Amino acid sequence: MANLTAMGKRPKSQWDFGELFPTEQTRKVLSVSELTAQVKRLLEKSVGSVWVTGEVTNLRAQSSGHIYFTLKDAAAQLSCVLFRGEAVMNRSVLQDGQKVLLQGDVTVYEARGQYQLIVHAVELQGVGALQIAFEKLKQKLAAEGLFAPERKRPLPKYPQRIGLVTSPTGAAIRDVLHVVQRRNPGLNIILAPCRVQGEGAAEEIAAAIRLLNEFNVGQASRLTVQDQGQAGRLSYFDLILVTRGGGSLEDLWAFNEEVVARAIFESTIPVVSAVGHEIDFTISDFVADVRAATPSAAAEIITEGVFASRRLVADLMQRMARAHPRRRMNELLQRLDDSQTGLLRCVKQGTRDRAVAWRNLADRLLRVRPAQLLRRRRESLVMNRRRLRELMQVGLRDGKNRFAAAESRLHLLGPEQVLSRGYSITMDAATGKVLRKAAEVKSGQKLKTRLKTGEVLSRAESTASKPSDKGI
Amino acid sequence: MPAKNLPFEEALKKLEGVVETMESDELPLETLLAKYEEGTRLVKICQEKLAEAELKIQQLEKDAAGELKLKPLPPDLSEG
Repeated sequence: MANLTAMGKRPKSQWDFGELFPTEQTRKVLSVSELTAQVKRLLEKSVGSVWVTGEVTNLRAQSSGHIYFTLKDAAAQLSCVLFRGEAVMNRSVLQDGQKVLLQGDVTVYEARGQYQLIVHAVELQGVGALQIAFEKLKQKLAAEGLFAPERKRPLPKYPQRIGLVTSPTGAAIRDVLHVVQRRNPGLNIILAPCRVQGEGAAEEIAAAIRLLNEFNVGQASRLTVQDQGQAGRLSYFDLILVTRGGGSLEDLWAFNEEVVARAIFESTIPVVSAVGHEIDFTISDFVADVRAATPSAAAEIITEGVFASRRLVADLMQRMARAHPRRRMNELLQRLDDSQTGLLRCVKQGTRDRAVAWRNLADRLLRVRPAQLLRRRRESLVMNRRRLRELMQVGLRDGKNRFAAAESRLHLLGPEQVLSRGYSITMDAATGKVLRKAAEVKSGQKLKTRLKTGEVLSRAESTASKPSDKGI
Repeated sequence: MPAKNLPFEEALKKLEGVVETMESDELPLETLLAKYEEGTRLVKICQEKLAEAELKIQQLEKDAAGELKLKPLPPDLSEG
């Protein structure tokens, strides 16, 4: 009833108690602007600056340079505007269908009577954001030279002691221990446990790596040759294995953090990184000295040298046995036997060959019929001897004849004939010189005269020469 | 050189050297025998180091005084 009065209706009935209950005029009539302004104030005050996430739709850039879009989820939507002058990173991230994280102020666009979000910051939601962060850190660290291939150190071939950075309860440590047990159970493993995912895991991983390095320095100073992890290296640990099992990008995220990368870079002990599955590459993989595809693969790489050396030692033992002096001697003796047999064969063959050759020669000789030849030769010899004799005899006879002839001539010419005719030879008795001229003779000279028979010794009495002798 | 203290890698390298020397035909018999003895010794060292069948794992911790200490772990702890 009172309402009726307030509304200006006539209170004409006895039931009109308008006066009894006077109501104040509480109506407040606002203009649209005033109302809108009120709403705006209210929103700005009680909601104000927010972070909101949703999917971008209906994106349109106006000629003014401002960008308008609608951010929605399953049940509601929100008008958004990114003004041109707004210095926002990742502006390009705003695309239809993209899930984004926006920071902005809720307000009312009065001209349209629409509440909206004025965007001040844009981030990719979820995996996309992580991927961008990954790329940025990767570029930054690459530029600093953390990934440089030259700084990667080779792993010792026969590691005797390693540090292990991983969760004590994860799948990775189980896999690693299984492989090591199988291939080189003598390997000394020292665990520096840490969480491998979640808030603060990156700091724990980095701390574990640093802890092992710290322990290494402390122990190295006390090392003897015997204790050395590896001949020639003054280091307690031969290497550090940083590892965790497979998971999503968020799960592995700790190994993409800068603090882990720096700890690996500064490690004086070589680091093997094996994080996640085959296809996952984390920042720690890039910085480490060696990357393995899985924890098991890492364990295989680390134990390869010793595992292979079992085979090598067995091999060397065999070769040594074969080179053993007794073996060698037996070998040599066998070769000697072989040579002897060969030699014998050659000799036998040689003898046989010579016998054959000999027979051949004999045959050829026979074919030449030497007996016959010999007979012929003998006959001719006999004949010649006869002829020689004959000739000799003829010669002899001739000689005899000529001798006789010569003898007789000689005889004729000789003094014997002359002497027998009465002539004599007178000689000087001393010298035997034959005297022809009387003038040569002196009186008293002893003379010898030869007569046909005998000689006469005389002395010259006197000499006289005939006138005709003078000229002689 | 006290052979027992020889690190594994060195023993292995020495062994390879000895075998190669023995296989070259140049050696007189006495040297061959001496080399064989040395090789046998080296094989034993290597085999001893390879014969370790018990996996040993320890944990590195800082104790109350801030000292770094090693604590032995049973190998099946990680199976938990």
